Amino acid sequence: MQDLAIKDLLYKLADDQLILGHRNSEWTGMGPMLEEDIAFSSMAQDKLGHSLAFYTLLHELGEGEPDTVAFMRNADQFHNCQLTELPIGEYDFSLIRHFLFDNAESLRFESLSQSSHEGIARIATKLKGEVKYHVLHGNTMVKQLGSATEESITRMQEALDYALPFALGIFEPSKYEQELIDAGIYVGEAAIQKEWENRISAVLAKTSLKLPDFSTITPVYGGRYGQHTEHLQPLLDEMAEVFKLDPTAEW
Amino acid sequence: MSIESLDPRVTRLHIEAEAEQEQKPQLDQLETYEVFHQQKEGKAFTYAGPVHGANEEIAFLFGKEQYSRRAACTGMWIVKTQRVFVTPYVDDNTSFYDTLKELTVTPEDAEQTYELFHLKKRGKAHVHAGTVTARSYEHALQIAKETLNTPPVVNVWVVASQDVLREEQEKDIWLTTPEKKYREATAYRVQDKIDRFKAERQAQ
Repeated sequence: MQDLAIKDLLYKLADDQLILGHRNSEWTGMGPMLEEDIAFSSMAQDKLGHSLAFYTLLHELGEGEPDTVAFMRNADQFHNCQLTELPIGEYDFSLIRHFLFDNAESLRFESLSQSSHEGIARIATKLKGEVKYHVLHGNTMVKQLGSATEESITRMQEALDYALPFALGIFEPSKYEQELIDAGIYVGEAAIQKEWENRISAVLAKTSLKLPDFSTITPVYGGRYGQHTEHLQPLLDEMAEVFKLDPTAEW
Repeated sequence: MSIESLDPRVTRLHIEAEAEQEQKPQLDQLETYEVFHQQKEGKAFTYAGPVHGANEEIAFLFGKEQYSRRAACTGMWIVKTQRVFVTPYVDDNTSFYDTLKELTVTPEDAEQTYELFHLKKRGKAHVHAGTVTARSYEHALQIAKETLNTPPVVNVWVVASQDVLREEQEKDIWLTTPEKKYREATAYRVQDKIDRFKAERQAQ
């Protein structure tokens, strides 16, 4: 039973990173300025690396090859939260998503580095520095654009208001929540969400952006159980386009 | 009149010289910052290059991506370009300090610390040579002449310590950089596969 719980956790982590990594890579060559283009692409690449680390662990636990798992599943087999699959939109939305998601991810990695599951703890310990930098990037950009000009503040506020219900979907509880907590594998979504709310509130307090009361927002759930928006399947089709031409090809 | 350039490729393009370009409004341009990196614990901070940024924190983010995405790095310093005091250049194998005129009066400004960066040879990068306590940039050079003058020094940059943003605490953000071989063209060795492919083709 615990095996299923661990796999569910790993799929959730890996799928989030794969889908958001792919989405963010869509900015490559089109970022708002050269340096930011490189920074955002670099972080997207890191995220794909994180997903690979977790897919590899899943493979060791008996799941398929990382490439097969990443490229051959359909949307309803993915466990990512819906926030990660939304189209990149304008840069304001992509930045806000990056800020909201990575703050949560950083807390996850910090917590998982203390996990009783050795494999998970090892990966989280190794990669948490990268996520820490992603958070630094997100926080710095949000602080700057959230208090720069009327236009930047308005745009960031609209993006934030749109993204928040999806962001709360990051913390959709899994079927195995209590089991993972009891086994000391994962501290659980509720605990992560509480700390996440504190962290993003602290950053947003330094800007002109307004954060609504979290209790007034209805979270968008479903992603963890394979329910997705119409945007995920086209993303998967595009991502796997080359791989599917010849899944046995050696690269 | 087409543009005459030192680069013959540009001259060959016969580009018409345009009328003077309108200057962009000042606020439309980001400021530049200078980035210094430390490639190994304990080694001197070395100049890496400039970046654009809206403030020094953003300049650090960009500096990290531009200048430490491949090579190992353990820390980074960021200084606004405008805050770098630059001396004249002297000939190779000589020292700028030997041409420095003595200050006749000690400035009355408050004492503070300054960081000195030396260029040992043209084409190389400025390297952090040391810190002095002084009352002005010129005064800092005067003191460095006594304490840090190890020729050759073809050029010196002086920066007030308080103008340096130091990112040295969070070492783990660079922890995995040496593993990112996929960012290097040399990590992709394909010749074996090409040879094998050609051999297979020929055999057919």
